[in-house]
Amino acid sequence: MKVIEAEELSKHFLVKQKEKGMKGSIKAIFCPQTEEIKAVDKVSFGVEEGEVLAFIGPNGAGKSTTIKMLTGILYPDGGRVEVLGIDPVKKRKQLAYQIGTVFGQKEQLWTHLTPYDNFRFFGAIYDLSGGETEKRIAELADIFELADFINTPVRNLSLGQRIRCEIAASLIHKPKVLFLDEPTIGLDPVVKENIRMLIRQMNRELHTTIFLTSHDIGDIEKLCKRIVIVNSGQIVMDDSMEHLKYHYLNKKIVEVKLQEETELPPMEGITIRKRKGRHVRFEVDTSVMKINDALRSVDAEHVEDINISNIPLENIIMEIYQSEGRADGL
Amino acid sequence: MRKYVVIYRSVLMENLQYTVNIAMGFISYFFIIFVFINLWDYMYAAPGDLIAGYTKEQMIWYVMITEMIWFGARSTTIRQQVPTDIRGGNIAYLVNKPYWYPLYILAKYTGEWNIQLPMYAVLTTVIGVTMVGAVPNFHPVTLLAAVPCIVLGVTIHGMFKICISMLSFWIEDSNPFQWLYDKLILVVGTIFPVEIFPASLHPILKLTPIYTVCYGPAKLIVDFSVEKYLEILLAQVLYLAIGCGIMCLLYEKGGRKLYVNGG
Repeated sequence: MKVIEAEELSKHFLVKQKEKGMKGSIKAIFCPQTEEIKAVDKVSFGVEEGEVLAFIGPNGAGKSTTIKMLTGILYPDGGRVEVLGIDPVKKRKQLAYQIGTVFGQKEQLWTHLTPYDNFRFFGAIYDLSGGETEKRIAELADIFELADFINTPVRNLSLGQRIRCEIAASLIHKPKVLFLDEPTIGLDPVVKENIRMLIRQMNRELHTTIFLTSHDIGDIEKLCKRIVIVNSGQIVMDDSMEHLKYHYLNKKIVEVKLQEETELPPMEGITIRKRKGRHVRFEVDTSVMKINDALRSVDAEHVEDINISNIPLENIIMEIYQSEGRADGL
Repeated sequence: MRKYVVIYRSVLMENLQYTVNIAMGFISYFFIIFVFINLWDYMYAAPGDLIAGYTKEQMIWYVMITEMIWFGARSTTIRQQVPTDIRGGNIAYLVNKPYWYPLYILAKYTGEWNIQLPMYAVLTTVIGVTMVGAVPNFHPVTLLAAVPCIVLGVTIHGMFKICISMLSFWIEDSNPFQWLYDKLILVVGTIFPVEIFPASLHPILKLTPIYTVCYGPAKLIVDFSVEKYLEILLAQVLYLAIGCGIMCLLYEKGGRKLYVNGG
């Protein structure tokens, strides 16, 4: 059953334009000029119940605008959208009871109150009874391990603790769909991993549908089974994570610092990207060669340091976008 | 309605931590009142003189009460938070909760003035009794009529300020309109009672929020009459209904124009 359905969803913004300098400023008063920006341009997709979907793209691609239309914050200029069978435009308040939102860059908690008081507050906002709220706080405190700081004012919490509380607060009313907009932004790797684990657990145990946007490839890799990539307001890819990995994440970047300058033997599946003195960076196509076979090509005795990483998400997005652009003849 | 009570209570809890900050405003209040006490002392040449129908004590108490309402109803929520929320896009993160944003703001504002106003009321009473003397012909029962009028007046004031702040949906900066409204209330209804102005202006002034926000409640305390009370109460109920309608309209129309920066 589809919980989110978007058909030909569009949103345009009129953005003021001003020529440079004082002359431009004066001209803008008498002859204001605007430019129409197509933030979201006829986007169509659906999300199944219990699915964890990554909705990604570069900055300004239209991700957050789409989330804001799905949650009823922004009015679409065109198209149709339904979340849990509810039209967010017409019944935003009714929908609010069914969904949860976490915007990593915005705090929804009241910083002068403790997480406990915040949870009580959100319980009341979502019309839960006192008993229900208490029960729910106990459950969430247990899942998110909040007991140690549940009575500390939010302003005194670390960022990781605060994000845990933000997510817990957005779940107080047991939402069926949770929108996460960069939930791990600014967190250290350990806290990021904890948050991911909690999101996975929540999806598994509560069967919550997760709609995630993130620039962190770790979030996407570890949480999502399906990925939708948007750029310039349009969907450029909608596919399973497995398919994406097979096609795009089958390349690893290996950076090696050698004790002395050595030539690497040419091998199929290895592409030298950069060489500077004793530093070598090469790309391994894991669909052609296993990474450990590639490492054997380097004389282990002469290796001083080694680093293996995935291709950055931005590169993948760019690659997908460029290939789509070429395919469309752009 | 319970959720708005919870919002109100949360703001109350938050603001209770800032009572010392609120008390700092007492200095400005005292300074203004001190100036007016001396000014009216000078203006009233002889005891028993009347200016615009007010005795000296009535006039000073009038100014003290309107200033008390003015200081007690000061709120960063309605003056700064609403325009900042709208212009900065933060409103997007508030409107996706199951509450109505204008009522959310009104509940926050009520939580603010419910701490400030009683504090200023105590200060006003202390300054008034020690420096001016009791209000002539004042009967404590009058407060039963005046207090609800003060509550309504402060609520109407908040509602109009929210309406002005919501102009930010259309214009870059609503501050000039806030400034105009503030100065109108301050000069025409707060510092001087309506009767000071030419009689030809009275009908016009009665049509402005001045009559319901500060003049009405203060007039009831310094010179109570049942006729005046009913007139002011009726005006306040009408203003509340009109203000509510304007607020709904602005929010409904403005919400559709919402432009959220940064995605």
